[in-house]
Amino acid sequence: MNQDELLENEQIEKILSPHPLSFMGLQSLCIFLILWGILLGWLVNFSEFKDYFLNPWLTLSVWGIILMVVGVIASLLTIRWRIFFFYLGIFIGGIVILFWLGNSNEVSIFIPFYSVSVSILGFLIVELYRRSHKYIISNQRIVFKGGVITKQERTLRYDKISDINSKQGILGQIFGFGTIIPISVSSFGLGSDNSFAAGGVQMGEKKVKFLGLFGGGKELQTPRTRSYYELHGVFPYKDIKKIVENQVQGSVITQYQQEQVSFQKEQVDIQKQMRDLLKKQSKSNDNTSEMDEKI
Amino acid sequence: MDGSPIDIVIFAPLALIFGVILFWFIQLLFIESQKYFLSQISHNHDALIKFSNFLGVLFQTMCHALGYTVTKSGISSFYVSVNYGKVSPKKVRRGLLGWTSNAFLFIGPFFIPGILILICLLFLINSDYFLISYTGYTFSENFISFGINLYNFSSGFLNFLFTIDLLHPFHLGFLILLIFMGMGIRPSFIGEKNQEKVDMIYDLKNIRYNILHKPVYILILILISYIFFYISILTEQNLYITIFTILGWLSIISIVSLIITHMILLLIKLTDNIKGVSKILPYLVIPVSYVFLRLIFFYYPIPYQNSISLLLTIFITLIALIILLKKNTNKFKTNIDMNSLFKLGKGRRDEPRRIIRK
Repeated sequence: MNQDELLENEQIEKILSPHPLSFMGLQSLCIFLILWGILLGWLVNFSEFKDYFLNPWLTLSVWGIILMVVGVIASLLTIRWRIFFFYLGIFIGGIVILFWLGNSNEVSIFIPFYSVSVSILGFLIVELYRRSHKYIISNQRIVFKGGVITKQERTLRYDKISDINSKQGILGQIFGFGTIIPISVSSFGLGSDNSFAAGGVQMGEKKVKFLGLFGGGKELQTPRTRSYYELHGVFPYKDIKKIVENQVQGSVITQYQQEQVSFQKEQVDIQKQMRDLLKKQSKSNDNTSEMDEKI
Repeated sequence: MDGSPIDIVIFAPLALIFGVILFWFIQLLFIESQKYFLSQISHNHDALIKFSNFLGVLFQTMCHALGYTVTKSGISSFYVSVNYGKVSPKKVRRGLLGWTSNAFLFIGPFFIPGILILICLLFLINSDYFLISYTGYTFSENFISFGINLYNFSSGFLNFLFTIDLLHPFHLGFLILLIFMGMGIRPSFIGEKNQEKVDMIYDLKNIRYNILHKPVYILILILISYIFFYISILTEQNLYITIFTILGWLSIISIVSLIITHMILLLIKLTDNIKGVSKILPYLVIPVSYVFLRLIFFYYPIPYQNSISLLLTIFITLIALIILLKKNTNKFKTNIDMNSLFKLGKGRRDEPRRIIRK
């Protein structure tokens, strides 16, 4: 953050970036790709089952099917279809490169190398994404900056924070990082979980063609926002949380301060009343003196 | 039946119980030793300590939950973190059921990780090693049978470990699992603040409490063991020895995994003495030397190449570690050792200092 971007009397407390392991969700996609590529390479080339994989198309199919199945399961569990499309893209990319190279018999060597290469590329992209995050905690506000190509920025003043949500996974507990979501008065930082259940029923076997579809929806408010708009995977988590909470606390009037303000108000009211009384008294004095003069 | 009736009726069933308790205590000693090692490196390896604490707490809570499930107490809440775990029952059971769920909590962590490894081992080693022999009815015969069963299993298990192929994904996965389990077997908390409820002494106190304050249940347990033993004899089934043999196997697996974890902790402790980036060199030497050796043996095959690769890798790592330690530690060491300097000074105490200054 440049000096000219600072407000009057603003001091920077901390400049933070997410912990290298805080994007493990994305990194695990690459880890699985490496593990599955190497395992398949071993199965096809060195294991006792290698005779089953003499047909290169079978190897390619097994690789693709497992990728798709894992992609679908992971997408359903995390409610993010991008995982499925990520694996689908890798599978299609692999087929295209294989056709382009024109040697489909080398599938057993191609798959492990391709998997490892794509995963390394994936790791680099995740790292680039992680490094694009920058959180600035000052004594007046929190500035969230980010974006690889399109730059995004969010500024949140402490007096506008209504609630603080914080979470720490097992990796976070081990390595000391965690995520802090400041929820603003306008509910920025709150997301919703939607679930929908559906089922089809076919009545009868041949003639009765009744098909029913039953569904239901449920929405649940939950603290969630993009990593650019939260303090994602910050280290050291406990210290940062304390700093943010102290700053928020400092910008809110406490019970004692409220009592002091009301007491001061009362005093001001009394003083006003006294001033009015004095004015009245001086007026009445003036009137009597005028009367006396007239008399 | 060669033994006396007293031996068969009274002493024979005790042989296997004593055998299992003996192995369990050996396991406890290794656990205490591991705890000492971990506390020694705790200041430099906070993440590792937290990870091992998490594994320990996880196994303990799993055993607790298993105990409540078995006794039909139900689970109302389940919470696991790096330094604390809690399982609450739906119904608080008293009497024998409550005692059983407590027994699961205190004894389970010593055996549950072993069961997980044993299941994996079933797929990896020859099933001949799992055959259980049964030949006798007396105390000594039972003890010998128990020993033979443990020996057969141990030889198979150690044979597998010494011929393990670390380029085989399942073998490598098994080794990683073994190390993780070794860290998790310890039901003790390592940290700045001692947590009594996740400590071995706490567990032992509770076991002692359960034994001393509920002697009737212990008597019932022993009585069940005796009845089970008699039924096994009369029906000529080796169920009694099978159960205790499996418990013995679990102890052996735990002890082996603890020994491997000790080796890793020793490596970590020694590398802490190396300064700078060269600290990571011993960790790099392990995979590089192993892959290099396997490549050599791939082109020039020899018998026992897996074992030789493994042993040579350990040897090369040790050599690398010693060289780095010698190179990096105490720069003020003299070329001549102190005893020789004393001899030069003909016994005068200040002579070595004078020679070094000179």
